[in-house]
Amino acid sequence: MAHYATGEPIYALATPYSPSALAVIRASGDEAISLLAPYFSSPISPSLSGRAVHGYVHDGSGRRIDEVMAIIYSKGHGYTSEEAFEIMCHGSLPVIRAISSLLEDAGFREAERGEFTYRAFMHGRMDLTEAEAVEEIVKARTSRAGSDALSRLAGSIYREAERMKESVLDILASLEVQLDYGEDEIPEDWVFPEEEVSRIIGRLRAIAATFSSSRLYSEGALVVIAGRTNAGKSSLYNALLKENRAIVSSEEGTTRDYIEADAVIAGIPVRLFDTAGLRESEDAVEQEGIRRTESLMDKADLIVYVVDPSSDDAPPQYERVLCVISKRDVSALDAPLSFSSVTGEGLADVIDAIASRLSASASAPSDVPRIDSERQKEKLEEAAAALEEARLSSSAGYDIIALYLQSALSSLGELTGEITGEDVLDRLFSSFCLGK
Amino acid sequence: MRDYDAIVIGGGHAGIEASLALSREGFDTLLITQSLDAIGRMSCNPSIGGLAKGNLVREIDALGGEMGHLIDSTMIQMRILNRRRGPAVQAPRAQADKFSYSRLAKETLEKERHLSLFMDTVVDIITEDGRAAGVVTERGWRISSRTVVLTTGTFMDGRIFIGEYDAPCGRLGESAAAGLGGKLREKGFRVGRMKTGTPARVRLSSLDLGEMEVQEGDDPMEPFSFGTEALDRPSLPCYVTYTNAETHRIIRENISRSPLYGGKIVGRGPRYCPSIEDKVVRFPDRERHQIFVEPEGLGTEEMYLNGLSSSLPEDVQHSFIHSIPGLRHAEIMRPAYAVEYDYLNPLDLMPSLESKLVAGLFIAGQTNGTSGYEEAAAQGLMAGINAAQLLKGGRPLVLSRTEAYIGVLIDDLVTKGTEEPYRMFTSRAEYRLSLRHDTADQRLTPKGFAAGLATEERMERLRAKMAGIEGAKAVLRSCRIDGKSAYDALKEPETSIFMLGIEALGSYSRSILREVELDIKYSGYLMRQEREIEKAKKLDNMEIPADFDYDTVDGISSESREKFKAVRPISIGQARRISGVRVSDIAVLGVAVRSRERG
Repeated sequence: MAHYATGEPIYALATPYSPSALAVIRASGDEAISLLAPYFSSPISPSLSGRAVHGYVHDGSGRRIDEVMAIIYSKGHGYTSEEAFEIMCHGSLPVIRAISSLLEDAGFREAERGEFTYRAFMHGRMDLTEAEAVEEIVKARTSRAGSDALSRLAGSIYREAERMKESVLDILASLEVQLDYGEDEIPEDWVFPEEEVSRIIGRLRAIAATFSSSRLYSEGALVVIAGRTNAGKSSLYNALLKENRAIVSSEEGTTRDYIEADAVIAGIPVRLFDTAGLRESEDAVEQEGIRRTESLMDKADLIVYVVDPSSDDAPPQYERVLCVISKRDVSALDAPLSFSSVTGEGLADVIDAIASRLSASASAPSDVPRIDSERQKEKLEEAAAALEEARLSSSAGYDIIALYLQSALSSLGELTGEITGEDVLDRLFSSFCLGK
Repeated sequence: MRDYDAIVIGGGHAGIEASLALSREGFDTLLITQSLDAIGRMSCNPSIGGLAKGNLVREIDALGGEMGHLIDSTMIQMRILNRRRGPAVQAPRAQADKFSYSRLAKETLEKERHLSLFMDTVVDIITEDGRAAGVVTERGWRISSRTVVLTTGTFMDGRIFIGEYDAPCGRLGESAAAGLGGKLREKGFRVGRMKTGTPARVRLSSLDLGEMEVQEGDDPMEPFSFGTEALDRPSLPCYVTYTNAETHRIIRENISRSPLYGGKIVGRGPRYCPSIEDKVVRFPDRERHQIFVEPEGLGTEEMYLNGLSSSLPEDVQHSFIHSIPGLRHAEIMRPAYAVEYDYLNPLDLMPSLESKLVAGLFIAGQTNGTSGYEEAAAQGLMAGINAAQLLKGGRPLVLSRTEAYIGVLIDDLVTKGTEEPYRMFTSRAEYRLSLRHDTADQRLTPKGFAAGLATEERMERLRAKMAGIEGAKAVLRSCRIDGKSAYDALKEPETSIFMLGIEALGSYSRSILREVELDIKYSGYLMRQEREIEKAKKLDNMEIPADFDYDTVDGISSESREKFKAVRPISIGQARRISGVRVSDIAVLGVAVRSRERG
């Protein structure tokens, strides 16, 4: 069975595998620096820890591959806490491939997903919430999501959860005293702190609710352009992408299946889908296209429904639908969100409307810390549910109320990582491919 | 050939249970005590049980221990506490006739064929190759044995304090056991000092009873032992009175004469059971403190002033006691005093209560830093059972936190240690809904039986009870009330099994019906707790190999590493409960142990 181990030299490309100005390749493991030394033109050793060393990477025969900066970390420093280095090279794919292959020759193997984070964790470099946040930073797609993940590293969720835990603990302590001493010693009855508990429940739910909006930022919103055949969907799609990636044709039913593209609209990453036109059709292939369009619409965060003003089409009336009117150049209709993909008239308004609809569902009060892990959302909801149960049981025995308060506490403890259930470990390390 | 299989040092509540467990399992046992007249003496309050402690007594009984029988035969008042606050936290407490209790304890020991009693003071423990091999006494006896159980209570280098007066005693008028603490220090034991106190005793006929509230016991009395059918014993009242501004003024003006505040006592006292001077100093805003006046027995006029423990000089005690309604003319028969004594750090014990330093040496009771008769007896019983297991070559009996208060008690001691005298509280138990006092037999009697201590008769009684519970539940399922079964009707909070008027239930005892009612009412909550228990078990079942090398896992912080090495937890569950260990360290340890397992 293959397992993560620590110490074994590994490397990975830390930046996306695509052409760019610079790329970063990092490596970690025992003797990592002396393994690299024979392939580096300048002398390097762990004593240079924390420094960037300029030099050339060359293959075994002395042929230069690239001019780079190498940042050296001795054991105990750096991200994994192992001996490590990072190579900043030019971001051309052949260079990246060449450096990768020389690292393989030097005795490194390519890291598995999450392996660097796993090592950092095993060397005590971070707690669970931090490890999780690091995973998410790696995955984060835009600067906004990146800053959410970073702010959790700084511990805003942690502090908030700690505060709520203190409040619940105070309530529980005042109740436990009654359970630890007899009624003859403490004759006063305990009163359920209704107001305080409601406040905490409200807060927990508000934070939990940031999950869906956080997800929009880290995974991207799913936006589907729909409408009848020939309504002008693909023209809009192309206009939105500002490039020709879908076939635009006047023949009905050209776009038989959907086409997907990534875009960023007003800072929100968007997966934009152009879909098959919705109409009655005998054609089996086209029917399949329509079926897929419908299932895509079910999942969409926003459906931009394009209406041809010359048709009698009535757009579906539900919340996720934004209705826009096409072909403003042909039939100048003075309706809101009327646009022309030929002249570009009205297009800015359409984009604004899409952005504002998306950010409405993505917004949360600014004083509420955002979360973007399913696990955190679950723990927050568990805690809220347990407190709700405690409130509903306020006429039952004190022992029952205490049971629920305790379970709220342990959910909050698991959230901050103070209590580590086996299930938490399981889930975290499954994202580090442990044990596969 | 050894003189005995086992030697038990001390005849207190721990020593009684340990020596009975060993001798009843057939091992030749010697109990050595400084005074045969002081066996089972109640040094402080004349009561047994109380919240969480009552559960301990019933668990001791369920495993085959003696405390339940002793109190059932000698109680002079009995109450179920916290009836209003929920069944999971109710517990029985009884006032004992402390003289009968002590005499019955001695009689019970004397009846055992395999148990010898001997009066002397142990001054050293003999070890051979790191194993306990016997004891040396003050009068020069060297007695050999295969195991030793140490239960010295407050006697190891005990010293009592009354104001400026102090004397080397374990109890007022009883000399301390000198020397043993020093010998254990030489053997590498970590010995610390703890402090506790007891209030004055006053004479009943000198009290103004009319000035105090009367507190009666429950009628009928309910027994602690699962083997006691019914009780017919006299019930004496307790009395309640309060301190006042004058009491507090007297204490404040004389506080400098307290050995605690003067710095003579260095040991840590219990925060939950403070002396009256502590209460006055720490809670200056409280206008009054409650005092319970409790009878010490049937054939005595001595009354115990619960809530007034003190180490102030006797003249100050006299003035403040006389400032309290009901006690204005009290004749003070024994003064209050504080006692400071050696205890051994329980972190040096394994969960079986066997010492990590000397194999075959078991340590139980107040010596481990606990307080209370029930806590002592529970440990004594487990030490006795596990010493017997060792003699038999069997696996130690270690109860988990999920199945017994005893499990919570011992796990806390050997995992967290204790800084102050440890008392059992319900809030220490995470799974208390499952630890109701009335279910102790179901939880533990089979374990006591398997270990060889609980008798076949006890098992038979348990089987009969379980059949009764199932029978009553079947009746409830078959009867219909308002369109649903009586069983479901009982889930309503306001419905009582005794109000249903089902004739077929008439043949079942009240205690069975009450238990059935609680089972049904709490079934939803119990299921929830079961799930939590399953989670906890998972971690407790992640065993850490005894030879696990913590130094090979460099991700563990150095503080946590030292703690792991000191405690040597047997599972990830136990490791997680060590105080001050970082959670990320547990996570790292968990992954390291798991990947080592998978190789």
